[in-house]
Order: sequence, then C-alpha cells, then structure tokens
Amino acid sequence: MFQDDVIPQEEPEVSGEAPRESALPKDAAAPEGSAQPQSAAGADSLSGAAAPPENGSPPEDESAFRAALREELDDLIERIRKTNPEYAPPPFSPRALLDLLRRNLANFPPDFQLDILERLRESLNADIFDLDTWKGIWYMLNYTLEYQTDILKRRMTGEYETDEWGLDQEFLDAVRPFLEFLYYKYWRVEVSGLENVPEEGRALLVSNHSGQLPMDGAMIGLAIYNEHPAHRLVRTLYADWFPTLPFVSMTLEKLGQAMANEENGIRLLEADELVAVFPEGYKGVGKLFKERYRLARFGRGGFVRMALKTQAPIIPISVVGAEETYISLYKSTTLAKLTGFPYFPISPTFPWLGVLGLVPLPTKWYIDFGEPIPVDGYSPDAANNLVLVSQLTDQTRNIVQEMIYKRLAQRRSVFFG
Amino acid sequence: MPRKKKPKTVLVTGVSSQWGQWLAAKLSAQPGLRLIGIDTAPPPETIEGLDFVQADIRNPLLAEFLELEAVDTVCHLDFIERYRRSEPVFEHNVIGTMKLLGACAQAGVRKVVFKSSTRVYGASPRNPAFLTEARPIRGARRYGYNRDLVEIESFFNGFQRQHPDMVLTILRFPNIVGPRANTPFTRFLSDPKAPVLLGFDPMMQVIHEEDVVRALLHAVRGDYPGAYNVAAEGILPLLKIMGIAGKIPIPLVHLLPYWAVNLGTPLSRHLPIEPDYLRYRWVADLQRMKEIMEFTPEYTAEEALREFAGERRARRYMPEKSPLAYDEERLRDTIERRRRMRAASKRRAPQGA
Repeated sequence: MFQDDVIPQEEPEVSGEAPRESALPKDAAAPEGSAQPQSAAGADSLSGAAAPPENGSPPEDESAFRAALREELDDLIERIRKTNPEYAPPPFSPRALLDLLRRNLANFPPDFQLDILERLRESLNADIFDLDTWKGIWYMLNYTLEYQTDILKRRMTGEYETDEWGLDQEFLDAVRPFLEFLYYKYWRVEVSGLENVPEEGRALLVSNHSGQLPMDGAMIGLAIYNEHPAHRLVRTLYADWFPTLPFVSMTLEKLGQAMANEENGIRLLEADELVAVFPEGYKGVGKLFKERYRLARFGRGGFVRMALKTQAPIIPISVVGAEETYISLYKSTTLAKLTGFPYFPISPTFPWLGVLGLVPLPTKWYIDFGEPIPVDGYSPDAANNLVLVSQLTDQTRNIVQEMIYKRLAQRRSVFFG
Repeated sequence: MPRKKKPKTVLVTGVSSQWGQWLAAKLSAQPGLRLIGIDTAPPPETIEGLDFVQADIRNPLLAEFLELEAVDTVCHLDFIERYRRSEPVFEHNVIGTMKLLGACAQAGVRKVVFKSSTRVYGASPRNPAFLTEARPIRGARRYGYNRDLVEIESFFNGFQRQHPDMVLTILRFPNIVGPRANTPFTRFLSDPKAPVLLGFDPMMQVIHEEDVVRALLHAVRGDYPGAYNVAAEGILPLLKIMGIAGKIPIPLVHLLPYWAVNLGTPLSRHLPIEPDYLRYRWVADLQRMKEIMEFTPEYTAEEALREFAGERRARRYMPEKSPLAYDEERLRDTIERRRRMRAASKRRAPQGA
C-alpha cells in the first residue's frame, strides 16, 4: 500500500504536465521507425515512464522494486539522451529541484497540490527514493519544460518538418486526442480483421462512405494508426471540394492526406503507402436516411486502375454505424447551389439548429477489414482493360456490400451494438 | 589567325533586367561564346565581353540583325513582371515574344530559351499534388504577369508545332527568392503586412536566384527541348516559409482578397501573389529536371529562404546606399573603360603607322 501512495506523486508532475500543450500521444503509438520529431519522441517516453509503476501492484520486496524503478528511470534518461543528444540539464541540486516542483505545482488545483506535497514529504521519510531517482526526476522535469517553451518558438520560426504531401507530425499529435475521444468514447468503434492490413508495403483500402460528414475516413485512419501493430498512417484520398474550404484544407494537408485523383493515388502507392479511397464519393456520403447501407455506384473504377497499375492489393472495408450519425431526410439542390456545397442535407436538426444540428448521434460503430483481393495475377497494363476494370469494381463493391449485410445481421441496436 | 571553330553566338534579350545582367555576366565568362545583349536601355553596370545593342525586340529589323550576327541561341529574358494588367505591358511581353520568335524562325536561330514560372499551371483544388510538365496550361489570369506568361506559353506550344526542328526550352521556376532578386515573392516576404488566407496553408516550392541563373546557363549550354520544372529540393508550407523569413502572417478571410483584387483596391498592392496561389497547392514535379536535364540546384528550399531572411535582417541595419555612392561606382567604371580603350588604341596605333 505504501508504494502505491508514493509512486503517483511523480506521475502528475511529469506526464500531467505534458499533454496540455504538446498533446502527447496517450499510448506511445508512434509508428516504429517513422520520422517523428525528436522532442516529441522524447516526451513520449516521459508519459510512458509514469505508466508502468502506476498500473503495477505493490511488489513484496521493496529493494527489488526500487531497483526496478531505478532501472526504468535510467532507461528513460538513456532514451531522452538518444533522441536529443545535445540536451544537458542544469546541474542537480535539491533546492533547485524543489523550486522547479513549486513552479509547476501552480498548474494544479490547490487540494491536489497539498496532496502532492504531503506525499513528497512522506516519501522523503520513507527513504524510498535515493539520489539517483531524484536526479532522474530533475532531468525529466527540466526536459519537459524546455520542450514546451521550445515548441511555440519553433512553430513561430518555422523550425518543424513536414513531408512532401504536407504531413506535420506535431499537428497530427495535437488533433489526435479529439479524434480519439470520438473513436473510443463517443462512437466506441469496434474493429475486426486488422490482420488483413499489411504491416508494410502498399495496399489500397476501399470502403463504403456514409454519414454526411466524412468522419469515417478519420476513424479508419485512427483504427490503423492506433490499433494496428505497425501503427501505420493511412493516406485518405479526399474529394476536390475540401481543398476549397478554409481550415479543412489545411487540416487535411497537415494530416498527410491527398486530393483524390489517379496521379496522387499512384504516386502514394508507389511509395509503398496505405491509401484509402471511398469510391462512392458524394453519392455515398450524402445518402438519404432511407437509402442507408445501400451502396451507391463505385465511381468510374479509378481505384481499380490505381491498384492494377501499382499491383497493390485491394482491401475491402465496411463501416457500419456511421450511416445513422445523421438522419438526412431530404437533399436540397437549391441550397446546395446557393452555398456551393456538393449536397445540402436537411435533417430533423440541420439546418434548423445551426451548428448544433451538426452534432452527430452517438451510434455504435463497427469497422471490418476484409480479406485482400489480390491483383498481382494481372499485369499493370490490365488497367487499360475496361472489361476487367469494371469487373473488379463490381467484385469489390459486392464484397463490401456483403460485409455490411453480415455486420448488420449481427447488430441488435444502433446505439449499443 | 586561323580559327578552329566558329564561336557560338548567344543573344540575350532584356539584358538590362536583373536576370539578363546576371546571366550575361555568367555567359561572358564562358569560353567559345560570343555574347550579344539587346534591350531598350543599356545595362546599369557594364558587363565585360558583352556586345550591347540598344533595340526593342519588337523592331521589324530584328530578323535582319539576327541573320547578320548568325545568332545560334536566343535567351529570352525580356519580361515585365507587373501585377496590374496593362495593355502596353501586354504588348511588350506577349506581342514582343511573338515578334521575337517570328524573327528567330526567319533568321534561322537554332535554339530559344525562355524563363517561365510554374504559376502557368494554375493553383486549383483539382491539381494533382505534383504537377508534371505535361499538365495543360491553366494559370490564373487575374494578374498581369500571370496572364502574359500563360499567353506566351500557349504561343510557344503552337510555335513548336510549326517549327519542329527548333529547340525551344522553357524553364518553369516556382517562387524565386534571393538576396538581390526582386520578384513577386520577395516583395511579398519583404512587405511588413504579409497577408495570408485564413485557414489555408498551401505547400510551396522556392528556388534561389543563383540557381535560376545556373539553370538558364545550363539550358543555353546544352540542348534540352521542351518544358522543365526547376525548383529547389524541399516543399514547405507557406506558414513555415513566413516563419523562416520572420514575417508575422496577417490572416484574412479568404473571400476578402478576391474581392480586393477584382475591384482593384489598394489591398492588392500588399498582395503581389494572386490569392489562388496562396490558397491551393501548385507544387511541380521535378523528375524531368533531375533525369533529363540533369540539373541540381545548389540551394535547398530552406537554405535559400534562410539566406534571404538573413540578408533582409542585415539590410535593416545598413545605411541606405546614397546616390553619391552609385555615382562614384559609375564614374569608376567609366574611367576604367576609357583607360582600356586608350590602351587598346595606343596598341593599334603603332601597327597602323
């Protein structure tokens, strides 16, 4: 019991500090070997540091526990040193450490502050932490602080990295908590068949499209980014209406997504990326409620041509639950023309309640990844074979439709699954 | 003295413009080249080895002159970059180019090199992420310099079909930055009020001014028919570019600049870049530059921008160059030139005697 009291006192100091501004990933889901910014990776390990002792049950042998803790701290320091070799903390002194703690304490509510200090006092009496442990805490606190004061300055002076498509890892880490809230808490997404998504190499994900707002793309992306063992980033191809919208265009670009056309798709697949497409397009996403789960036409087969040209396997995906997030009763062509929207849904709440009408319903979602449809039996020239292309398009569409029906047959409630 | 090989004659139009001067200075250092420069006004600084001819490219006698000098290559840099659409400038840029190309064909000029911009593809939401040279020319036509470039490029297309044996090289550059260059983008980044469109942060390419001159030189020396995108390594978001340049972006609701530009209000003075180009992606694919032209810019995008920003920061602390300083430089040039001429005439005189 005693150790349980002691351990959390450092936890809020370190990881509780971080997520506010830097929006650290909750579960250290950084893709292995990906080009994550150095400091983000460093801070990442900080939150990981606090987690293990917190979850662990109190060990019987105190000295063994101490050794384990020390080892963990050493390991962390080593990792921070590795990600940012130039970083050297100011020299350690107990007074400076207490100062540092005091400065940071102001960030917590008063009762919590008192709690922390009391625990700290207790832990000093108990002599559980030796000097090395304190040094470790000192090192990490300083690092977090430096990282945070640094991040704003770096954003202002343009010292951050993006890839050629615009992917900005720091931006991705900043918006992920919101998407994770939708994913885990709001729609409680359940995923199956992730093993069908390759750990490396190209693949074309083909999904049904629904839900008025294209949130299904974000959820598929998050499912693979968070739950897939390789934590891969999905490049979703989006419709050409989105780049004309302020903030939307910026967000999509900074998340590394690309405009839907064959040139972009082929280029991404040739770079061995995971590409997701929604061949139904606007016809799918803007479906009326009464047409839900009936797949619209699968475009002109552009996705099949992309897959054939790059020899990328097609992975069918069905998303169930997104259709019921909005109840679109009617599509107004007049309003669509006036606003420049590709479609203008009229629902029981939208546009009557304004922005409030945009709040989606908390349905239960299922995302199922089907078995890959191999295309390596065909030559890349087969992309010019119209018969084959339309055949494969229909085949993919039928598979997705079957997957949807199968899931719907199992589902008992729209909201509870 | 018997000459083994007749030197190739290169004619640079717009030799008094910034690009003309810099390219001429590089070309004059090349062995086996004869350099002629043509412009309506003499270059502000004398260029060693340049045979300057004061003439307008629209002059009907130009063909005769090209034939007399047996010009092999024309590097066409006579282009007025003005954002306001104006008829005299259009006449100079577009009609001038048409007449020049006509004269080149008549005089049997073998090769024409033209400096264009990747702006000719246009910035549009439908653009693929990487624009290849095969992309049709659909540039915006709101600003004068964009419209004129699009017109010229379409004319080049038709002209190539009529004269398939001529080598026409078009180099398309993105935003040009550099310590000395005066381009729409350097004006944009130098303006204390640098407007951006709220909620848009397109990826952009840049190139250093020296790499522009090096690319032109590369195209004059070798034969590379067709169009080539030439840009520095690295594609950066606009806000990052402004961060590097030390500019605080002023976000405007995106409709505002469009109205301002369409109405010709003073805001357009602070907007040397057309709003479309601050809104959508217009990134060019560099495969042809790397593989066919085998040209590698020396500066990466970030290096070019950091040098530009450093120069701008330093310039704030420098005293303004006084007219007297210019005067002194000019007189020094004159003295040197006259000295050389005297020396040359003295050398000739004893031979004649």
